[in-house]
Amino acid sequence: MTVRGSIAWQLKAAGILFGGALRGTAQYRANLFLTMAAGALFQTTGFLALWVMLARFGDIAGWTITDVALLYGIRLTAHGVWAVPFNQLMDVEHFVREGTFDRFLVRPVNPLVQLMTSRVRLNTLGDLVAGLVMLGVAMSHVDVDWTFGKLAFLLAALLGGAMVEGGIQLGLSAIAFRTLGSAQVRFTVDSVFNLYGNYPGSVFGRAGQWALTILPVAFVAYLPTAVLLGRTGELGVPRILAYLSPLVGAAVFAIAYAFWRRQIRHYQGAGS
Amino acid sequence: MPLIETAALVKEFKRVRRKEGAFAGVRTLFSRDFETTRAVDDISFAVEPGELVGYLGPNGAGKSTTIKMLTGILTPTSGHLDVAGVTPWRQRERNARNIGVVFGQRSQLWWDLPLIDSFRMIGRLYEVPKDRYRANLDRFVDILGMGSFMDTPVRQLSLGQRMRGDLAAAMLYEPKILYLDEPTVGLDVIAKERIREFVAELNRDTGTTVLLTTHDMDDVERLCRRLILIDHGKVLYDGPVAPLKEHYAPHRELVVQLAAETDVVDIDGAETVKAEGGRVWLSFDPRETPAARLIAAVSAKYEITDLSITEPDLEGVIRRMYLERESR
Ligand SMILES: Nc1ncnc2c1ncn2[C@@H]1O[C@H](COP(=O)(O)OP(=O)(O)OP(=O)(O)O)[C@@H](O)[C@H]1O
Ligand SMILES: [Mg+2]
Repeated sequence: MTVRGSIAWQLKAAGILFGGALRGTAQYRANLFLTMAAGALFQTTGFLALWVMLARFGDIAGWTITDVALLYGIRLTAHGVWAVPFNQLMDVEHFVREGTFDRFLVRPVNPLVQLMTSRVRLNTLGDLVAGLVMLGVAMSHVDVDWTFGKLAFLLAALLGGAMVEGGIQLGLSAIAFRTLGSAQVRFTVDSVFNLYGNYPGSVFGRAGQWALTILPVAFVAYLPTAVLLGRTGELGVPRILAYLSPLVGAAVFAIAYAFWRRQIRHYQGAGS
Repeated sequence: MPLIETAALVKEFKRVRRKEGAFAGVRTLFSRDFETTRAVDDISFAVEPGELVGYLGPNGAGKSTTIKMLTGILTPTSGHLDVAGVTPWRQRERNARNIGVVFGQRSQLWWDLPLIDSFRMIGRLYEVPKDRYRANLDRFVDILGMGSFMDTPVRQLSLGQRMRGDLAAAMLYEPKILYLDEPTVGLDVIAKERIREFVAELNRDTGTTVLLTTHDMDDVERLCRRLILIDHGKVLYDGPVAPLKEHYAPHRELVVQLAAETDVVDIDGAETVKAEGGRVWLSFDPRETPAARLIAAVSAKYEITDLSITEPDLEGVIRRMYLERESR
């Protein structure tokens, strides 16, 4: 028996719940792989567009195609790392509006864990796979000596990036407990991350870099990639921020989780 | 020590007037423009371990809202709440292990899985020891008659079958407290009877404390010793069933079958309500005219071939009570 309420217990419960969700979706398995493939394809076309542009101009603000590929790979992998487990977050409004969030509040498992394991959706697994492939290819082509220290920083940066994006999406989802509608805001923010997260921040000038740092899109990929490529000299923001980017992720996520827990108190359920 | 305790409990629902257009979500979040419903308005009661309490009231009285606060689903606007030593909305996961809850309107089972699979998941989530799980499941399958649909996916179960499944799922881990919110709504007589039997047995043999909400007075007559009546979020009555009946429906009816057809039976302390082919309905107040004296008086004047006394039913009592309140 595990200690009740502990992280070990939450993981065990997640296994039980996810197992149930898997068995429940067995019929649609073929479908799942199709959506996953579609997700990977969609993300790859994004990079192809960037490649075509780079092939024409040679580089973006001094970043070569392999440099940008590394940045893109880190961004996409970090996105995948949060989006695969937290995919179900997009359903929170549905659960709140229908009043079916009730059931998550009367079981002895963290409601967020229950939400995450309520259904199997593999479309974001495509993002993660595409991200890892791109990251792997870019790592073998960029002019970086992959020492143990750099690899450790890369790993921390991926987790940190996942927590920046995941934390912001978690915080925004929590609005749903009050207003029943946060999808539009989340979608807009997701677009911002997609649109501005994939380019070297230096493209946007000093003010743009500050804006992206505060947002904090830049922490997902641009700042850590600059550290890995040894390009911190060109940053428009203090370079210490770039080295701290993994910690920023942890802080954003911790704040977002505390906010989410508080917002659950505003859950009103449905009338019947 | 009461097992469930509420004091000055209040729940207000705030509905924000939704904004339209761009960033509607964020703008609604910061909006100060709402309408408020006070669904539960200063409710206090205490339930001792082993009690079986009927929590009754008309539609919209605040019954479900109270239960949702007791289960930890809703956070009270104000007031005190203690369930088995736990504040439900603060310690949800601890509270969850102490309670079972069934909402008649909504299943908590896994929609896509066979019923037995839902039971297995519950068994593991609540860490029920194997032998207890086996014993409970066998017993519940037997009392609730679930043998024939254990392998059916929940989405394919009939309402009555699903309700029985929900009830068993709520009790598999032997919670101290069982909340039932309209557990018999929409069920046929046999399914209702099965569920009542199950609840009565749990309460009697296992000492499970039950708080029951229903609009079916047969459920109440059959199960509850104590009633809490609420309306507009306030407690109107809290106590045993009998005094309520005495207060709101003191009259009994004596139905006598007479040998000869008679229109009016003229007896002191009784009023003829209806007469039909020798059968006469007499209304009397047992506090003034004891039934035995009335029967003796009737039989002294008329020849009786058969008789029965009808109690006022709870349905009528509660209807009267609400009507009386409305007219005030
Ligand atoms: N999620 C909600 N948002 C807004 N108002 C609500 C909500 N839930 C309940 N209410 C309101 O609170 C009041 C009490 O509702 P509640 O569901 O507790 O009644 P009830 O006694 O269970 O009624 P019924 O017998 O119809 O089930 C009603 O006026 C209802 O409209
Ligand atoms: Mg109700």
